[in-house]
Amino acid sequence: MYKLIRTINKVAPQVVIRTADNAFIPFDPANTDYQEYLEWVAEGNQPEPADE
Amino acid sequence: MASIKLKGDTSGEITIQAPSVAGTNTLNLQASSGTLATTAQASVGTKNLIINGDMRIDQRNAGASVTVNANSVFYPVDRLHTVGVGSAGVFTAQQVSDAPDGADKSLKFTVTTTASSGAYRFHYNIEGNHVAHLGFGQSWAKTFTLSFWVKSSVTGTYSGSFRNSAHNRSYVFEYTINTANTWERKTITVAADTTGTWLTDNGSGLKIIWGLASTSSGTAGSWQSANYFTSTNQTEWIATSGATFYISQVQLEVGTEATPFENRMYSTELAMCQRYYEKSYSDGTAPATSTAYTAGMSTLINGYTSSIYVLANTYFKVAKRASATMAYWDAAGNSGKVTYITGGGLSQVNNVSAVYAFTGSEKMALMNILGASTYNYCFHWTASAEL
Repeated sequence: MYKLIRTINKVAPQVVIRTADNAFIPFDPANTDYQEYLEWVAEGNQPEPADE
Repeated sequence: MASIKLKGDTSGEITIQAPSVAGTNTLNLQASSGTLATTAQASVGTKNLIINGDMRIDQRNAGASVTVNANSVFYPVDRLHTVGVGSAGVFTAQQVSDAPDGADKSLKFTVTTTASSGAYRFHYNIEGNHVAHLGFGQSWAKTFTLSFWVKSSVTGTYSGSFRNSAHNRSYVFEYTINTANTWERKTITVAADTTGTWLTDNGSGLKIIWGLASTSSGTAGSWQSANYFTSTNQTEWIATSGATFYISQVQLEVGTEATPFENRMYSTELAMCQRYYEKSYSDGTAPATSTAYTAGMSTLINGYTSSIYVLANTYFKVAKRASATMAYWDAAGNSGKVTYITGGGLSQVNNVSAVYAFTGSEKMALMNILGASTYNYCFHWTASAEL
């Protein structure tokens, strides 16, 4: 499972949280964790919304 | 120019040729049997394209056993990963000191819950930058040799495969475990694929699989437009309760000969591993271990007042092949938390949330909202950019 993070100080998020280990995954196409996240989304899944 | 020709019993010959310049030179040979490397092989420098082939580096587990019980990726040692099957057979993987002569460590697999067959295997992915000179997909593609030591309690035919990153080209190889519980060296020589698409950048240039049971099986011995993992003759190692399988001194080199394993300095091997995974914890300490906040944690000094975000930059020892996935812990080992230290009394508070991170290939930054003046923030981290 994954969770989005909110925009802070007008800086758009560059990472998504993997909730299993609270890791920050960067939006880098060469990062295999990010590739897994994209596949997970492509399967129709949706990340949890960001905390307010 | 004088020369001597040695003819083989059936065909082929080798010419030993003296230089065409004046002078007397002496070539001394070692008083032992072996194979001389030629310029066709990388006899000097980094000939072994496998990092941590002797299983010495285990940054994640510090030698502890890993249970492979799901269709997920597990790293029992650096650079080599295993994949299991959910709700079926289970095995463990652990760095151990049982190793072939000349090695100090090996990777041991043990069956704890049997299954009849399935996708039980382990992988090694080589970065494209490190195999570009093999010429995969080119007409000039070179021959390479994979060698490794294995020991298993279950004899028989084993197999694995070489694949490209797109998983549409594969070559299945076989080898035999002849004697139970005995170290044996295996060599696989293959002419690199002259077709297909193969990465030569920071992606996976060559993927290697060793099977522990049959899955996605094909015929061994040729490149095929398929995603094969094992051969149709693969022994079902996972079907024997308590079965063991060890591997060490994995080497992949250019040429047709399996030359002796290349022993590199520990510091060199560790730095090579850190291109893919690095941690703030001391060598020998697994992530999530409770430590003193003084034990090498990344620290942001003088956090700011509340409602203002503070940012802690950490530079990696070794640049990563891609932007890294960042995990972090407080001093007590709580995942996704940081520790702060009050400036006056050096009081330590754990389990503090962080809210944001930037990660790159050379550094990362953690952002915290709970800042207050005179607070020092610290945290342990790992940075992963595995293939």
